[in-house]
Amino acid sequence: MFKHLFKLIWNKKKQNSLLITEIFISFLVMFAVFTLFVSFYHNYKLPMGFEYKNVWAVNYSRPESLQSVRGDSVMLFNETVKKTVMSLNGVEEMSFVSNNLPFSNSSSNTQVEYKGNKTFTNIYNNEESYVKVLNLHPVEGAWFSKKDATSTYKPVVINEALKAKLFPTENAIGKELGSDDANKMRVVGVVPNFKDKGDFEAPEEALFSRLDTGDMRWSSAILIKVSPDADAAFESRLYKTLSNAISNSNIEIEHLTDKRVAKNKLIVVPMIIVMIVAGFLIINVALGLFGVLWYNINKRRGEIGLRRAVGATGRSVSSQLVGEALVLSTISLILGCFFAVQFPLLQVFDLKSGIYLVAMGFAILFIYVLVILCAIYPGKQAAAIYPAMALHEE
Amino acid sequence: MLKNYFKIAIAVLKRRKFFTFISLFGISFTLTILIVLSAFVDHVISPNYPDVNRDRSLYVNNMRLQSSKKQWTQSGSVSFYFLDHYVSKLKSPEKLAIASHFTSTNTYVNNKKLVINISYTNDEFWNVLQFDFKEGRPFIKQQVDNGEKVAVISEDTKKKYFGEGAAVVGKYIEADNMQYRVIGVVKSVPITQPFAYADMYLPYTVSKMDVRRKELTGNYSGILLAASASDRDAIKKEYAAMAAKIPTNDKEFDLLFTFADSYLANFTRDMFGGMAGNGIPMFILVISIFLFLFMLLPTLNLVNINISRIMERSSEIGVRKAFGASSGTLVYQFIIENLILTFIGGVLGLLFSFIIIQVINNSGMIANLHLTINLQVLLYSIMACVVFGFFSGVYPAWRMSRLHVVKALKA
Amino acid sequence: MIRLENIQKVYRTDTVETLALNNISLDIEKGEFLSIMGPSGCGKSTLLNIMGLLDAPTKGKISIAEETTAKLDDKQLAHFRNKKLGFIFQSYHLINDLKVLDNVELPLLYRSSTAKQRKELATSALEKVGLSNRMKHFPSQLSGGQKQRVAIARAIVGRPEIILADEPTGNLDSSMGNDIMDILLELNRTDGTTIVMVTHDENMARKTHRLVRLFDGSQVQ
Repeated sequence: MFKHLFKLIWNKKKQNSLLITEIFISFLVMFAVFTLFVSFYHNYKLPMGFEYKNVWAVNYSRPESLQSVRGDSVMLFNETVKKTVMSLNGVEEMSFVSNNLPFSNSSSNTQVEYKGNKTFTNIYNNEESYVKVLNLHPVEGAWFSKKDATSTYKPVVINEALKAKLFPTENAIGKELGSDDANKMRVVGVVPNFKDKGDFEAPEEALFSRLDTGDMRWSSAILIKVSPDADAAFESRLYKTLSNAISNSNIEIEHLTDKRVAKNKLIVVPMIIVMIVAGFLIINVALGLFGVLWYNINKRRGEIGLRRAVGATGRSVSSQLVGEALVLSTISLILGCFFAVQFPLLQVFDLKSGIYLVAMGFAILFIYVLVILCAIYPGKQAAAIYPAMALHEE
Repeated sequence: MLKNYFKIAIAVLKRRKFFTFISLFGISFTLTILIVLSAFVDHVISPNYPDVNRDRSLYVNNMRLQSSKKQWTQSGSVSFYFLDHYVSKLKSPEKLAIASHFTSTNTYVNNKKLVINISYTNDEFWNVLQFDFKEGRPFIKQQVDNGEKVAVISEDTKKKYFGEGAAVVGKYIEADNMQYRVIGVVKSVPITQPFAYADMYLPYTVSKMDVRRKELTGNYSGILLAASASDRDAIKKEYAAMAAKIPTNDKEFDLLFTFADSYLANFTRDMFGGMAGNGIPMFILVISIFLFLFMLLPTLNLVNINISRIMERSSEIGVRKAFGASSGTLVYQFIIENLILTFIGGVLGLLFSFIIIQVINNSGMIANLHLTINLQVLLYSIMACVVFGFFSGVYPAWRMSRLHVVKALKA
Repeated sequence: MIRLENIQKVYRTDTVETLALNNISLDIEKGEFLSIMGPSGCGKSTLLNIMGLLDAPTKGKISIAEETTAKLDDKQLAHFRNKKLGFIFQSYHLINDLKVLDNVELPLLYRSSTAKQRKELATSALEKVGLSNRMKHFPSQLSGGQKQRVAIARAIVGRPEIILADEPTGNLDSSMGNDIMDILLELNRTDGTTIVMVTHDENMARKTHRLVRLFDGSQVQ
């Protein structure tokens, strides 16, 4: 039977080539859409890795007066600000941090090296209190503390993603990163991956190090953990306190919960647009497919009448037509899979092969369902053709 | 002749209602997306409130410093110092507007937080950009020079801070823990106008940053207004000559690139051009590729349907040929028919886009965004219609014209 | 009027060659009414299509109205058909989407004419076949005989010198068939139109001036 269907399609390859192309392109479109969906869903299911509730971010412009003073004075300034803020009732913990705050649009990267093995990573500068602000739980070692400050090498904490890149099999604690002595770093802790770029972004490699006096001069952000009952009145008090402590500065307070929503929107809104466009394209294709199949069946009334006359049941006629449509889509899908499979093979984008394969599976399933749905009604119609009538028309 | 084509086209469309529906659905949807897209692009690129003099303006925003020995580059916006010390000395521009990129700050009214985006500007900013003052007036040079704490705010800010109703000029607004006297209220600007958008405009002299610091990169941008559109080339030339003479005072970064660009080029240079060109050709190429890919599927679909439709009419084609229609005439007939179909789809598409644009404008997705279908957008959509109708009609028409008369009559 | 010299037509498919016409030579005078008969598949229709320039012979020469047609391109052929020839088919081939009047006007669309001229000519052609009261109908509202009369009106509206009719009465009962035959004979007599008709019907063929019989692609009489 399959051979018979294939023959029918092959003999009409010229008429069918356009249909095949159309299904082929639809498959590629669906493959792209599903790849996006699957990878976003995959990322969405991963744990956040840190706590963003009741954490507020403060962005301030560095006062001019700090630009030209010595490092010690900068440190002193930060200490004073910290003391003032911490004294406020409702502030639980705070940390000066580099500008690449969670859910912000800025990022900062650096290259690290371990025994000639080089890799890029995000770098976050902060203080000891950072671990409490974001409620991070080291899985190995511990966060750097005041006593590490005196060690020869700069103490750093890395996340599991970076650990996998640098020391896939070894224990990370105590390892020294960097090539020249001046910039060497010692790993003191490993934390789980965290999705600071939003729910839908894959966690990236991360390296956390202490803000030194040089960094402090440039850092202009603070993370503050507030008590759960903090309200707008409290925020207004905090704002006043901050602007008194950091005079001559533009200050903005944001809530990480709001920043997360805004950051996720950057993915969700385009996804909705992609979905609407893809949806309409597919409806378009489905209607077109339906129309062409319907027309083909009307054109083949004679053939169908003959099949009925020589003993085919209505059911077998309609399943033949659905079968033909399926063979047609299989040809397109084989072609489509050939192209789709290049993505994992060539590692075109930085995605796991599994994601492509799942997306491919969904796309194949989708196309088959679509084609079957489009072929069922015309097939039913064909089954209802009276052999005598159809042959008479011929 | 055309009337006859029209008659038959309408008759065919009426008879095959389902095919007509599919075709119209595909065409109108495709065009809707194209029209909404072009309305958006038009809104972003074309002169718009308050930046109405875009065709005789040049924009200075980016500066890139590069090392001639190493691959290091550093780029960012220009500084106030650069604009004030170098750009304002140019002879050929009429005016120079200077404004900082907005910085966000909070203010608290009645225990509610308000985010206010502040832009620091010079006085000519108000002459170059044509703001619509609902109340009061802009600040003048003297107020800027004196560092007066005066503010021009947007209508939205007025509404949020003071509430609806009474005039607010003369009242004080607190932001950044400072009190500013409101001297003007302007119609709000959407964020899609990066050179003009802010909630509150202040004289640059009250900025907390030291604007006199001798750095080349910073947080500012400038708009050069020429006397006429054709004067812009002369300004570009003078600007380039000026830029070539600026010392970077930096051993690492010894090369300096900065341009006075037209509005579009200002963005495309950043995205596609590098410093070699202004990136507009690349921008057009990217847009064209996107459009091609987007239209591929609907076109294929329409081609498929058209072929079915044609094969169904083989008897008609045979008769026409027998009675003296040449292949060329038939191709022409079918393309006209298809264009008629496309235009009906186009009208529907226009209707849908009108609805969608209303929805977008009223949704507040982007505050104060006001998309319109103007003449230019209409022209684009008609162009899209013609291209679409032509391409989806040509191949089926060619297939039709090759149909053998004898076979066509037999079927 | 029509001169065929050693016409041969071979149909080729991938595997088989079929000889549809073998060495046919025929001379048809101006004003003659000729009928072609023969069993199914003998090549009658092929011969008619070749005379109508709808199909090209594999070998041989055709000249119509003193003009050799071998060298004409698609556009010239179309123009030639439009001016000199009129066609009538067994299954009418009316355009269902057009009203009767528009169907009849069709040949005039492919020559320079005004809408007014077209309407006048089409109306008078319809009067000749006795259908002036059906001008605003669609073909689907007509009987078989009426459809064929519309087809005749369409064939004569351009005042062609030759009418080629492929079994014009094949789909009709004998009384309707006789009506159609009377119209054709009348056309031949009064306007002097040359008519070539393929038919199955001996009675019809007997009413014409000359009869040509084909068998397996060859002329037997």
